[in-house]
Amino acid sequence: MRILKIILKALPLLFVFGLLHYVLPQHDIARVTSTEVIRQDFTSFNRIFYAQADSGAAEHPTRDIRFAYTERQKTFLFGFIPRDARGVMVYRNEDTGWIWPPYFKFDSSDLQAEAAAAVSVDGAEKWVVITHYGWRNKFFSIYPNAIGVREISGPDVRIIPWFNLFFFAFMIVAYFFIRAMWRQFRERSVDPLLQDAGEVWDKVDGHADEASAKARGVFGRFKAWLATWRKK
Amino acid sequence: MGLIRLVVLGFIGLSVVYFAISIFSRSIRREKLEKEWDANPPEGGDMATRATYIKEGMAAYESGFRKKLIVLVYIVPPLFVAAILYLTNAQ
Repeated sequence: MRILKIILKALPLLFVFGLLHYVLPQHDIARVTSTEVIRQDFTSFNRIFYAQADSGAAEHPTRDIRFAYTERQKTFLFGFIPRDARGVMVYRNEDTGWIWPPYFKFDSSDLQAEAAAAVSVDGAEKWVVITHYGWRNKFFSIYPNAIGVREISGPDVRIIPWFNLFFFAFMIVAYFFIRAMWRQFRERSVDPLLQDAGEVWDKVDGHADEASAKARGVFGRFKAWLATWRKK
Repeated sequence: MGLIRLVVLGFIGLSVVYFAISIFSRSIRREKLEKEWDANPPEGGDMATRATYIKEGMAAYESGFRKKLIVLVYIVPPLFVAAILYLTNAQ
Protein backbone atom coordinates (compact mmCIF):
# COMPACT_ATOMS: atom_id res chain seq x y z
CA MET A 1 0.00 0.00 0.00
CA ARG A 2 2.80 2.41 0.89
CA ILE A 3 4.70 1.50 -2.25
CA LEU A 4 1.55 2.11 -4.30
CA LYS A 5 1.19 5.57 -2.71
CA ILE A 6 4.80 6.42 -3.50
CA ILE A 7 4.30 5.29 -7.09
CA LEU A 8 1.11 7.35 -7.43
CA LYS A 9 2.95 10.41 -6.12
CA ALA A 10 5.98 9.81 -8.33
CA LEU A 11 3.99 9.36 -11.55
CA PRO A 12 2.94 13.01 -12.03
CA LEU A 13 6.48 14.14 -11.22
CA LEU A 14 7.86 11.66 -13.71
CA PHE A 15 5.37 12.89 -16.31
CA VAL A 16 6.34 16.54 -15.79
CA PHE A 17 10.03 15.66 -15.92
CA GLY A 18 9.49 13.70 -19.14
CA LEU A 19 7.50 16.52 -20.70
CA LEU A 20 10.15 19.12 -19.86
CA HIS A 21 12.94 16.82 -21.02
CA TYR A 22 11.12 16.38 -24.30
CA VAL A 23 10.17 20.00 -24.90
CA LEU A 24 13.03 22.14 -23.51
CA PRO A 25 15.90 22.95 -25.87
CA GLN A 26 19.13 21.01 -25.59
CA HIS A 27 22.44 21.56 -27.33
CA ASP A 28 24.58 18.93 -28.98
CA ILE A 29 28.08 19.41 -30.32
CA ALA A 30 28.12 17.51 -33.56
CA ARG A 31 29.32 17.44 -37.11
CA VAL A 32 26.88 16.90 -39.94
CA THR A 33 27.80 13.96 -42.14
CA SER A 34 24.90 14.16 -44.58
CA THR A 35 21.35 15.30 -45.04
CA GLU A 36 18.42 13.50 -46.60
CA VAL A 37 14.68 13.54 -47.13
CA ILE A 38 12.67 10.36 -46.53
CA ARG A 39 8.97 9.68 -46.50
CA GLN A 40 7.46 8.88 -43.13
CA ASP A 41 4.36 6.72 -42.77
CA PHE A 42 3.27 7.53 -39.27
CA THR A 43 1.53 5.09 -36.98
CA SER A 44 -1.02 6.26 -34.45
CA PHE A 45 1.65 5.77 -31.80
CA ASN A 46 4.61 7.65 -33.21
CA ARG A 47 2.52 10.37 -34.86
CA ILE A 48 2.56 12.54 -31.71
CA PHE A 49 6.37 12.57 -31.82
CA TYR A 50 6.30 14.43 -35.12
CA ALA A 51 5.19 17.97 -35.83
CA GLN A 52 2.62 18.91 -38.45
CA ALA A 53 3.15 19.63 -42.14
CA ASP A 54 5.25 22.66 -43.06
CA SER A 55 3.64 25.96 -42.24
CA GLY A 56 1.21 26.84 -45.00
CA ALA A 57 1.08 23.30 -46.44
CA ALA A 58 -1.73 20.76 -46.28
CA GLU A 59 -1.73 17.95 -43.74
CA HIS A 60 -1.61 14.40 -45.15
CA PRO A 61 -1.29 10.97 -43.52
CA THR A 62 2.22 10.59 -44.90
CA ARG A 63 4.80 13.13 -45.94
CA ASP A 64 8.47 13.68 -46.65
CA ILE A 65 10.61 14.74 -43.73
CA ARG A 66 14.05 16.33 -43.78
CA PHE A 67 16.76 14.61 -41.78
CA ALA A 68 20.29 15.51 -40.78
CA TYR A 69 22.75 12.71 -40.04
CA THR A 70 25.49 13.62 -37.62
CA GLU A 71 28.29 12.37 -35.47
CA ARG A 72 28.09 13.98 -32.08
CA GLN A 73 30.02 14.23 -28.84
CA LYS A 74 28.45 12.06 -26.19
CA THR A 75 27.69 13.57 -22.79
CA PHE A 76 26.55 12.59 -19.31
CA LEU A 77 23.78 14.22 -17.30
CA PHE A 78 21.79 16.01 -20.02
CA GLY A 79 24.85 17.50 -21.64
CA PHE A 80 26.45 18.93 -18.51
CA ILE A 81 29.41 16.54 -18.42
CA PRO A 82 31.29 16.14 -21.70
CA ARG A 83 32.75 12.79 -22.71
CA ASP A 84 35.41 11.79 -25.17
CA ALA A 85 33.17 9.23 -26.85
CA ARG A 86 31.34 9.95 -30.08
CA GLY A 87 28.23 8.41 -31.54
CA VAL A 88 25.82 8.94 -34.38
CA MET A 89 22.64 10.93 -34.03
CA VAL A 90 19.85 11.58 -36.49
CA TYR A 91 17.76 14.74 -36.32
CA ARG A 92 14.53 15.45 -38.08
CA ASN A 93 13.95 18.97 -39.28
CA GLU A 94 10.33 20.07 -39.20
CA ASP A 95 8.39 23.30 -38.74
CA THR A 96 6.81 23.53 -35.32
CA GLY A 97 4.55 26.33 -36.53
CA TRP A 98 2.49 28.47 -34.21
CA ILE A 99 1.42 26.16 -31.44
CA TRP A 100 3.37 23.29 -29.92
CA PRO A 101 6.13 23.10 -28.86
CA PRO A 102 6.40 26.91 -28.86
CA TYR A 103 9.60 27.29 -30.87
CA PHE A 104 7.81 29.14 -33.69
CA LYS A 105 10.05 27.48 -36.23
CA PHE A 106 9.19 28.12 -39.87
CA ASP A 107 12.61 27.88 -41.46
CA SER A 108 13.07 24.12 -41.91
CA SER A 109 14.20 24.50 -45.51
CA ASP A 110 16.75 27.17 -44.59
CA LEU A 111 17.97 25.07 -41.70
CA GLN A 112 18.37 22.13 -44.05
CA ALA A 113 20.46 24.31 -46.33
CA GLU A 114 22.62 25.37 -43.38
CA ALA A 115 23.05 21.76 -42.30
CA ALA A 116 23.97 20.75 -45.85
CA ALA A 117 26.51 23.58 -45.99
CA ALA A 118 28.08 22.32 -42.76
CA VAL A 119 28.62 18.76 -44.04
CA SER A 120 32.21 17.71 -43.45
CA VAL A 121 34.39 14.64 -43.77
CA ASP A 122 36.82 12.94 -41.39
CA GLY A 123 40.06 14.86 -41.07
CA ALA A 124 38.44 18.19 -41.97
CA GLU A 125 35.67 18.32 -39.41
CA LYS A 126 33.41 21.33 -39.20
CA TRP A 127 31.83 21.37 -35.75
CA VAL A 128 28.42 22.82 -35.08
CA VAL A 129 26.11 23.22 -32.12
CA ILE A 130 22.74 21.71 -32.89
CA THR A 131 19.90 23.06 -30.78
CA HIS A 132 17.09 20.56 -30.63
CA TYR A 133 14.22 19.20 -28.62
CA GLY A 134 12.72 15.72 -28.53
CA TRP A 135 13.93 12.17 -28.18
CA ARG A 136 15.57 9.59 -30.37
CA ASN A 137 13.98 6.17 -30.14
CA LYS A 138 14.99 3.42 -32.52
CA PHE A 139 12.10 1.08 -31.73
CA PHE A 140 9.42 3.63 -32.57
CA SER A 141 11.45 5.54 -35.20
CA ILE A 142 11.23 8.91 -33.51
CA TYR A 143 13.85 11.65 -33.78
CA PRO A 144 14.70 14.90 -32.03
CA ASN A 145 13.74 17.99 -34.01
CA ALA A 146 16.65 20.31 -34.84
CA ILE A 147 15.88 23.98 -34.17
CA GLY A 148 19.13 25.68 -35.07
CA VAL A 149 22.63 24.97 -36.35
CA ARG A 150 25.52 27.23 -35.31
CA GLU A 151 29.12 26.80 -36.40
CA ILE A 152 31.80 26.65 -33.72
CA SER A 153 35.59 26.52 -33.83
CA GLY A 154 36.07 23.15 -32.16
CA PRO A 155 34.36 20.38 -30.25
CA ASP A 156 35.50 21.70 -26.84
CA VAL A 157 33.22 24.72 -26.46
CA ARG A 158 31.32 25.21 -23.23
CA ILE A 159 27.61 25.73 -23.80
CA ILE A 160 25.58 27.64 -21.24
CA PRO A 161 21.87 26.79 -21.49
CA TRP A 162 20.60 30.36 -21.01
CA PHE A 163 17.05 29.63 -21.99
CA ASN A 164 16.71 26.74 -19.56
CA LEU A 165 18.27 28.76 -16.72
CA PHE A 166 15.80 31.55 -17.40
CA PHE A 167 12.94 29.07 -17.72
CA PHE A 168 13.56 27.38 -14.38
CA ALA A 169 14.11 30.73 -12.63
CA PHE A 170 10.76 31.83 -14.04
CA MET A 171 9.10 28.61 -12.87
CA ILE A 172 10.38 29.13 -9.31
CA VAL A 173 9.18 32.75 -9.28
CA ALA A 174 5.82 31.69 -10.71
CA TYR A 175 5.48 28.98 -8.06
CA PHE A 176 5.99 31.44 -5.19
CA PHE A 177 3.73 34.01 -6.83
CA ILE A 178 0.88 31.53 -7.25
CA ARG A 179 1.39 30.32 -3.69
CA ALA A 180 1.16 33.90 -2.42
CA MET A 181 -2.02 34.42 -4.46
CA TRP A 182 -3.54 31.25 -3.10
CA ARG A 183 -2.68 32.18 0.50
CA GLN A 184 -4.15 35.64 0.06
CA PHE A 185 -7.30 34.11 -1.38
CA ARG A 186 -7.54 31.67 1.56
CA GLU A 187 -6.93 34.36 4.14
CA ARG A 188 -9.29 36.96 2.72
CA SER A 189 -12.06 34.93 1.08
CA VAL A 190 -12.23 31.33 2.25
CA ASP A 191 -11.35 31.62 5.95
CA PRO A 192 -13.97 34.30 6.76
CA LEU A 193 -16.60 32.14 5.03
CA LEU A 194 -15.54 29.10 7.05
CA GLN A 195 -15.64 31.19 10.21
CA ASP A 196 -19.21 32.30 9.43
CA ALA A 197 -20.20 28.73 8.68
CA GLY A 198 -18.60 27.64 11.96
CA GLU A 199 -20.61 30.21 13.91
CA VAL A 200 -23.85 29.12 12.25
CA TRP A 201 -23.00 25.51 13.03
CA ASP A 202 -22.31 26.34 16.68
CA LYS A 203 -25.70 28.06 16.89
CA VAL A 204 -27.52 25.06 15.39
CA ASP A 205 -25.60 22.75 17.67
CA GLY A 206 -26.56 24.90 20.68
CA HIS A 207 -30.27 24.75 19.78
CA ALA A 208 -30.06 21.01 19.38
CA ASP A 209 -28.40 20.63 22.80
CA GLU A 210 -31.09 22.80 24.38
CA ALA A 211 -33.83 20.79 22.74
CA SER A 212 -32.36 17.46 23.77
CA ALA A 213 -31.94 18.68 27.37
CA LYS A 214 -35.67 19.47 27.50
CA ALA A 215 -36.66 16.22 25.88
CA ARG A 216 -36.25 13.98 28.94
CA GLY A 217 -38.73 11.14 29.31
CA VAL A 218 -41.72 10.36 27.11
CA PHE A 219 -43.81 13.30 28.31
CA GLY A 220 -40.81 15.60 28.24
CA ARG A 221 -40.13 14.54 24.70
CA PHE A 222 -43.76 15.27 23.74
CA LYS A 223 -43.55 18.70 25.39
CA ALA A 224 -40.29 19.38 23.63
CA TRP A 225 -41.94 18.45 20.33
CA LEU A 226 -44.80 20.82 21.09
CA ALA A 227 -42.28 23.48 22.01
CA THR A 228 -40.73 23.27 18.56
CA TRP A 229 -44.06 24.61 17.17
CA ARG A 230 -44.04 27.60 19.47
CA LYS A 231 -42.83 30.89 18.14
CA LYS A 232 -39.33 31.64 19.32
CA MET B 1 -5.04 29.09 -38.93
CA GLY B 2 -2.42 28.28 -36.35
CA LEU B 3 -1.80 31.97 -35.74
CA ILE B 4 -5.50 32.64 -35.15
CA ARG B 5 -5.66 29.73 -32.71
CA LEU B 6 -2.59 30.99 -30.87
CA VAL B 7 -3.99 34.51 -30.62
CA VAL B 8 -7.41 33.36 -29.40
CA LEU B 9 -6.12 30.80 -26.90
CA GLY B 10 -3.35 33.14 -25.78
CA PHE B 11 -5.82 35.96 -25.23
CA ILE B 12 -8.07 33.73 -23.14
CA GLY B 13 -5.13 32.41 -21.10
CA LEU B 14 -3.64 35.85 -20.53
CA SER B 15 -7.08 37.22 -19.56
CA VAL B 16 -7.31 34.58 -16.83
CA VAL B 17 -3.87 35.62 -15.59
CA TYR B 18 -4.80 39.30 -15.86
CA PHE B 19 -7.95 38.95 -13.76
CA ALA B 20 -6.26 36.72 -11.19
CA ILE B 21 -3.45 39.26 -10.73
CA SER B 22 -5.95 42.16 -10.60
CA ILE B 23 -7.94 40.50 -7.81
CA PHE B 24 -4.75 39.58 -5.95
CA SER B 25 -3.31 43.07 -6.22
CA ARG B 26 -6.58 44.69 -5.08
CA SER B 27 -6.78 42.34 -2.12
CA ILE B 28 -3.19 43.09 -1.11
CA ARG B 29 -3.86 46.81 -1.31
CA ARG B 30 -7.04 46.58 0.80
CA GLU B 31 -5.27 44.51 3.44
CA LYS B 32 -2.44 47.03 3.56
CA LEU B 33 -4.90 49.91 4.06
CA GLU B 34 -6.70 48.01 6.83
CA LYS B 35 -3.44 47.28 8.61
CA GLU B 36 -2.28 50.89 8.24
CA TRP B 37 -5.46 52.10 9.89
CA ASP B 38 -5.46 49.46 12.63
CA ALA B 39 -1.80 50.04 13.52
CA ASN B 40 -2.30 53.77 14.03
CA PRO B 41 -6.00 54.71 14.31
CA PRO B 42 -6.50 58.51 14.49
CA GLU B 43 -8.30 60.17 17.44
CA GLY B 44 -12.05 59.61 17.40
CA GLY B 45 -11.90 57.28 14.43
CA ASP B 46 -14.72 54.73 14.32
CA MET B 47 -15.70 51.98 11.88
CA ALA B 48 -17.34 54.49 9.55
CA THR B 49 -14.21 56.66 9.20
CA ARG B 50 -12.17 53.47 8.79
CA ALA B 51 -14.44 52.40 5.94
CA THR B 52 -14.08 55.82 4.28
CA TYR B 53 -10.31 55.70 4.69
CA ILE B 54 -10.18 52.30 2.99
CA LYS B 55 -12.62 53.40 0.30
CA GLU B 56 -10.52 56.44 -0.51
CA GLY B 57 -7.34 54.39 -0.54
CA MET B 58 -8.91 51.89 -2.93
CA ALA B 59 -10.16 54.70 -5.18
CA ALA B 60 -6.59 56.04 -5.32
CA TYR B 61 -5.37 52.55 -6.23
CA GLU B 62 -7.99 52.10 -8.97
CA SER B 63 -6.85 55.27 -10.72
CA GLY B 64 -3.15 54.79 -9.92
CA PHE B 65 -0.16 53.73 -11.96
CA ARG B 66 0.41 50.38 -10.24
CA LYS B 67 -2.90 49.04 -11.46
CA LYS B 68 -2.01 49.97 -15.03
CA LEU B 69 1.20 47.95 -14.74
CA ILE B 70 -0.90 44.76 -14.76
CA VAL B 71 -1.59 45.43 -18.46
CA LEU B 72 2.00 44.23 -18.98
CA VAL B 73 0.54 40.73 -18.73
CA TYR B 74 -0.84 41.30 -22.23
CA ILE B 75 2.32 42.96 -23.55
CA VAL B 76 5.28 40.91 -22.30
CA PRO B 77 4.32 37.40 -23.56
CA PRO B 78 3.71 38.55 -27.17
CA LEU B 79 7.07 40.34 -27.10
CA PHE B 80 8.59 37.12 -25.82
CA VAL B 81 6.95 35.17 -28.64
CA ALA B 82 8.27 37.71 -31.14
CA ALA B 83 11.78 37.35 -29.70
CA ILE B 84 11.69 33.54 -29.93
CA LEU B 85 10.24 33.76 -33.43
CA TYR B 86 13.09 36.02 -34.51
CA LEU B 87 15.85 34.02 -32.81
CA THR B 88 14.60 30.72 -34.21
CA ASN B 89 14.17 31.84 -37.79
CA ALA B 90 16.90 34.46 -38.28
CA GLN B 91 20.12 33.15 -39.78
